[in-house]
Amino acid sequence: MIKVEIRGLCKSFGPKEILKGIDCDIETGEVVCVIGPSGSGKSTFLRCINCLEEPTAGTVKVDGHLMDENAKNIDELREDVGMVFQQFNLFPHLSVLDNITIAPVLRKRMGKAEAEQTARQLLERVGLADKADAMPRSLSGGQKQRVAIARALAMRPGLMLFDEPTSALDPEMVGEVLDVMRQLAEEGMTMVVVTHEMGFARQVADRVLFIDGGVIAEEGTPDEVFGNPKSERLKGFLKAVLES
Amino acid sequence: MGFIDLFLESLPLLLQGLSLTLELAAVSLAIAMVIGIVAALMGMSKVPLFRAINRIFVLIIRGTPLLVQAYFIYFGVTGVLGIRMSAFTAGVIALSLNAGGYMSEIFRGGIQAVDPGQREAARSLGLSASQTTWRIIIPQAIRICIPSVVNQWCITIKDTSIICVIGLAELTRAGQTIIARNYRAFEMWIMVGALYLLVIYLLTVLSRIVERKVSLD
Repeated sequence: MIKVEIRGLCKSFGPKEILKGIDCDIETGEVVCVIGPSGSGKSTFLRCINCLEEPTAGTVKVDGHLMDENAKNIDELREDVGMVFQQFNLFPHLSVLDNITIAPVLRKRMGKAEAEQTARQLLERVGLADKADAMPRSLSGGQKQRVAIARALAMRPGLMLFDEPTSALDPEMVGEVLDVMRQLAEEGMTMVVVTHEMGFARQVADRVLFIDGGVIAEEGTPDEVFGNPKSERLKGFLKAVLES
Repeated sequence: MGFIDLFLESLPLLLQGLSLTLELAAVSLAIAMVIGIVAALMGMSKVPLFRAINRIFVLIIRGTPLLVQAYFIYFGVTGVLGIRMSAFTAGVIALSLNAGGYMSEIFRGGIQAVDPGQREAARSLGLSASQTTWRIIIPQAIRICIPSVVNQWCITIKDTSIICVIGLAELTRAGQTIIARNYRAFEMWIMVGALYLLVIYLLTVLSRIVERKVSLD
């Protein structure tokens, strides 16, 4: 079953063309990792999927529904698409528990008690059961990102988007976040992950997209993309990344 | 008569003036906060008309002296409309519009200072635009705004003294009245100044406590 259907996606910021026509289908349960040089449009591509960026041309459909900022039901459509950001973006004025319960309570009209019970289960799952009452400022980067994942999961989304989730982390905290994501992938979550973690992409992805210059320059299974890159651009990129 | 005796003799009238000053400031500032938030949201609205109204409002408020605004409302508007208005009402209208204009810029600045990632995170969870504004953005903007808002409160508390020109017997006018009887301008203005200073000092202490309580750092 197709979860996300992207057709002719273009995005410009003023005169600057970032995405130049992207076609892509993502199957339910599929884990897609997006790699590519910085400034290539990876994050813009991801942000178009839940309509944080409005496409200049082309369409994005999730479960057959057009993602359009002006659609009346855009808020409901976004409820099914969780997102995890590079800079975590936890709500600093709310406790960890409130960060996780605010959306279920406000959107799903879940009772406070039920939402808190769900939140505590999610915190347990990401290994932070003891941090429910902490404020975000007291957490480490890795802990913040795990709370952010729990916050997104609290809406029970059918699709999770990860925008360079480990890029702002100290190296020793990357593993704990990737472990949570790996577990999520194993449970069958549909995931699109923009990442520089080639090891993770290789190990967890069903498919890897190499975006360069605003188009999907190459795609395939991890073995194909990492083991047998065809284009010179991908070869050059992998060489630069893997040598660093 | 020594300073102490003079002080004790003047105190009842000064305190009367002070209580009117505080009443005028409190009512005006409460209304100004509402005007400020509404005007700030209009200034950031998608609707061009709302943005235009905000710009013109702020331009007029910042571009003309409070004294002129107070005269205009008390003598100008009442004259043209043929209505009667108490000096207190006119004072509240002038002060709340004036402070509201400045507050709207303070709030706009505070709202825009909140990390755009906060709005994105909230919207990505499915929160609506207004849920995002009121639950996520405004609570953080208020914290950012506190020092500037308290600053505006201090200015407006002292600006009530300008309202004495339309005949309201607030603290400054009380001082003038006493001086007209005893000719002790030097001592009296020290007393009047000290009372303003005391109020502002207490407000400053209070704001520090609040700031520390709600701080996110």
